[in-house]
Amino acid sequence: MIKFHPNEEHLFHYVTGDLSPALLMMVGTHVDMCPRCQEQVRDIEAMVATKLFGQTQVPQDFSAANDSFDNDAMLQQIMAQTPTHKASDSAHNALVDELVLEGKRFKLPATLARSHHRIGEWHKLIGHMWRAPVQIGGDDVLTFIYMDKGTKVPEHTHKGREATLVVNGVFNDETAEYRDGDFVFLDGSVKHTPETRDEDCLTLAALDAPMHFTSGLSRLLNPFSSLFFK
Amino acid sequence: MQTATETQLKRKLMSSAQPDDPDHAAALLALVATEQSRQAFSELFSYFAPRLKAYATRQFGNEQTAMDLVQETMTNVWNKAHLFKPDRGSASTWIFTIARNIRFDFLRKNKHRQHDLSADELWPVLAEQNDSLDDDYALDDDLLMQQLATYCELLPKAQRTVIELIYVEGKSQQEVADALGIPLGTVKSRTRLALQKLRELIHSDD
Repeated sequence: MIKFHPNEEHLFHYVTGDLSPALLMMVGTHVDMCPRCQEQVRDIEAMVATKLFGQTQVPQDFSAANDSFDNDAMLQQIMAQTPTHKASDSAHNALVDELVLEGKRFKLPATLARSHHRIGEWHKLIGHMWRAPVQIGGDDVLTFIYMDKGTKVPEHTHKGREATLVVNGVFNDETAEYRDGDFVFLDGSVKHTPETRDEDCLTLAALDAPMHFTSGLSRLLNPFSSLFFK
Repeated sequence: MQTATETQLKRKLMSSAQPDDPDHAAALLALVATEQSRQAFSELFSYFAPRLKAYATRQFGNEQTAMDLVQETMTNVWNKAHLFKPDRGSASTWIFTIARNIRFDFLRKNKHRQHDLSADELWPVLAEQNDSLDDDYALDDDLLMQQLATYCELLPKAQRTVIELIYVEGKSQQEVADALGIPLGTVKSRTRLALQKLRELIHSDD
């Protein structure tokens, strides 16, 4: 059972396409995994559609909009085409929906499977953590992070905001336990120390600024935080 | 000869309904999909094109780009009407998601940045195989049922009939006995044997 969901604002902007690319991927992946949010997304889509197309009269300011379609040129041009029902994008059939790491296989939700070709090389970080970038353009960063069981990430805050989604497995921080599909959104003020215990964990993380380590020796890591998220 | 659905569709088309009536819009799309009906498409066009243009003008503040969005959206409606699934949402919702995708790609097109996400990757509204991956998580049950159906084929006919009546049609064992005119005990033993056989078949495949 998924306990942590994107908020309504995230879902709304996912529907309209107005989140950063990294967050669109994160929310989309959560939605793949979460029937409740799938339903909300359908409701929001319907609501936006009604708002856009529901009015009986096109608003006055756009009365000019009607004129542009008077001569039917566009309509005729479109109907001159012969619809083809063939599956032109057969590439979709050959989707890779698995991620292999350290001999383990992870099933990827649809949004990630469609972007499989964007997943870069895995690199080992400190301890038993691995990361692989997902190249999606935009200014924020999307990264897979894999933590083997019994791994602790040094306490840190974020200069920007961090969103984490559990793709497979379980991790804990000071406040809760997060499992498959859980979506956590933290802003710069929150300090946390994620760790895994008896199970490993594959997460997807979106950051709009590098991590900032706050405790003890791990402060020394800060100059290298670009190694985590670049 | 016309099929019943077509007649029904035609009747809806003939009525005075506007495309803002969801059933009517869905019927128009169905006519575009099945017989490339120009009349149906023209009606959809005259309703949606100005509204799409109003939306796109607000988004882009540029008349030409707005018209491009209208053209690309309506072209997809014409060519891909067969991909509209009425059980997944209304016609206007479907058309909005097409326009949303086109807007998303328009906003990135001019930047020429490497690796930029495309709308299709995020929202595969117009993928021909839309069902295959989207429903993966929900699909497991269906797969299991399909597999079970295959195994059922392997049962002796008498056992299969009993299993189908009980598990597919939801009859009680007594009802099955009555329907087939056989003793209740026979129904029970056939059920038991069939389930045992199914269990073996499932395990042998593991």
